[in-house]
Amino acid sequence: MSKKFISGIIGIIIALLIGALVMILQGYNPIETYQALFQVSLFGLSPLATTLKNSVPLVLTGLSASVAFASGVINLGQPGQLVMGALLATLGGLYLHLPSILMVPILILLAIAGGILWASVAAILKHVFNMSEFISTLMLNMIADYFTAWAIAYPFMDHTAFSPMTPQIDKAGWLPDIGGFNLSILITLLAMAFIWIVFNRWTAGYEWRISGQNSLFARLGGCNIEKNFMAVMLVTGALAGLAGGLVVMAGPHRFLKGLGANYAWDGIMIAIVANNGLLGTLLYGIFFSAIQTGALGMELITNVPSEISQVLQAVLVLVIVAGREFLSTVMDRLEARRKVLAARRKPKEREA
Amino acid sequence: MNILTGLITGMISGATPILLAALGGTFTFYAGVFNIAMEGMMLTGAFFAVLGSYFFQSWVIGILFAILGSVLLALIFIFFAVSLHTDEFVTGIALNLFALGATTYLLRQIFKVKGVFSSPGILAIPNLRIPFIDKIPFIGVILSGQNLMVYITVLIILLSAYLIFHTRFGLRLRAAGYNAVSLDSSGVSSAYMRVLSLLICGIFCGLAGAFLSLGYVRLFGENMSAGRGWISLAAIILVNGNPWGIALISLVFGFFDGLGLLLQGYNVPPQFTSMVPYLATLIALYFYSIRTRKSPLK
Repeated sequence: MSKKFISGIIGIIIALLIGALVMILQGYNPIETYQALFQVSLFGLSPLATTLKNSVPLVLTGLSASVAFASGVINLGQPGQLVMGALLATLGGLYLHLPSILMVPILILLAIAGGILWASVAAILKHVFNMSEFISTLMLNMIADYFTAWAIAYPFMDHTAFSPMTPQIDKAGWLPDIGGFNLSILITLLAMAFIWIVFNRWTAGYEWRISGQNSLFARLGGCNIEKNFMAVMLVTGALAGLAGGLVVMAGPHRFLKGLGANYAWDGIMIAIVANNGLLGTLLYGIFFSAIQTGALGMELITNVPSEISQVLQAVLVLVIVAGREFLSTVMDRLEARRKVLAARRKPKEREA
Repeated sequence: MNILTGLITGMISGATPILLAALGGTFTFYAGVFNIAMEGMMLTGAFFAVLGSYFFQSWVIGILFAILGSVLLALIFIFFAVSLHTDEFVTGIALNLFALGATTYLLRQIFKVKGVFSSPGILAIPNLRIPFIDKIPFIGVILSGQNLMVYITVLIILLSAYLIFHTRFGLRLRAAGYNAVSLDSSGVSSAYMRVLSLLICGIFCGLAGAFLSLGYVRLFGENMSAGRGWISLAAIILVNGNPWGIALISLVFGFFDGLGLLLQGYNVPPQFTSMVPYLATLIALYFYSIRTRKSPLK
């Protein structure tokens, strides 16, 4: 744990230094820029609340990817599952008119159903036709993207708007702020706690983890690989769908054009950086959200385009992952050298 | 007749970028590199092509820039995956993200626009008119007058097939993927072969990117590769890397791409016609899975 923590911190520092170098080359002041970036995203109650609210889709899609990858399922379909969840929740919010206490849970269930629905397409393709989920989820992402773009441009379009979007959902479906913090943060933490218990304490979670580490061992040990695959696919789809629903219910309260594009690969990116650890996913999700949230404010204060946050994120991913693997290779080599030295010393001791 | 030639031309222009990227990827496929960075390399190539063409007023420099940009990405891949032994899947995904972020950032920095940069100052790759052949009715329209990059692509198919299957280089390349340890023990570094394969992939993906931004359009748009790198990966997997198979399957994808464009003329919403190539990939995967199930070897 501490080793992971140290290599993460070192990676972040190196990545921020590389980012600073880029800024210097472009003629910006890196210290001012970083100061502005974290000032708008972390220091103070309201910036922190915004960062946490924005971290909801990142953490949830990150958890989805982490659980999938750690279970040996290459579900790259979070973007598609997210927009389908968002679409279903939006439609529920447009056509249902119930009191808030019923509306919110129903919309959340609809979002989860949307994610499960889209993940199940890939799961069925794998189960029935043995088609690799790696490519099929990617293709389904593009299809979901175009499908939702059509849905908000034709049948469910808000005709008073200038760009494709749906009308706002019923106010009863809006997630309220509690003490400045949006309710979606609490729901995310609950989902995180639930998935942590399933993954680390339940038999099912144990079987998933074992299948991810050694699928042959898991099969010989009596795990039903196919059943586990389906379960992981659907659970991770549910998480991504939930992310989409919460984005709509907490933020714009409608399905805007390009809603999914903002979170396209973020979940996968965060899972990779966190090495598929659930707690790490939560922390990195909040950290990446701080960078994204801060970038917008930074642009207003310092003239540095907010797009630099995308460069910064990719550098972070590369440096942290490479640093981690490099560190473990160096550790292995040192270990080997120590063993060699010890082995050399032994005969001499015997001679003496 | 017009619809048919339009469809065939659309098929060729749709197939070319996928084909070029897939041919690059097939070198890494044979060298045993799990390379999923074609998408990012193509996007970087497309951006640098516009950069070179716009600032130097020459499509040749545009193509050279595209290759440079794409190879730069390949070099980063080499540094992380070959030198530092970072996981190839992770490196590829991070590089795709990096390419998307960097091109979006540079688009904003250099051209001061968000989304799309298009200008009459960008010079496109010209079409090539072949004398005599263009006089032949029907076939002439298809064989002649295509973009120069299309003819280069045809040459690259021939070159790739020859390099991979008929030269010592190709033998070593395949050995690196088939059994890296035995290649190393025979005195040829398998890491070196992987580096070469990635550089070749970088060059071809650069060409693919140049065709995207300087072929039939003269613009760069954010994320304009739009999943073509992934389709080319699917194409490689479907035919186990064979260059001729890749050519065939890219034409099939190109056909559906062209069909999508054609359907737009019949009041089908553009979102549905844009889905067609991805649906085609899924259908192709379906046929692949049936074939592998029937084959006794698997």
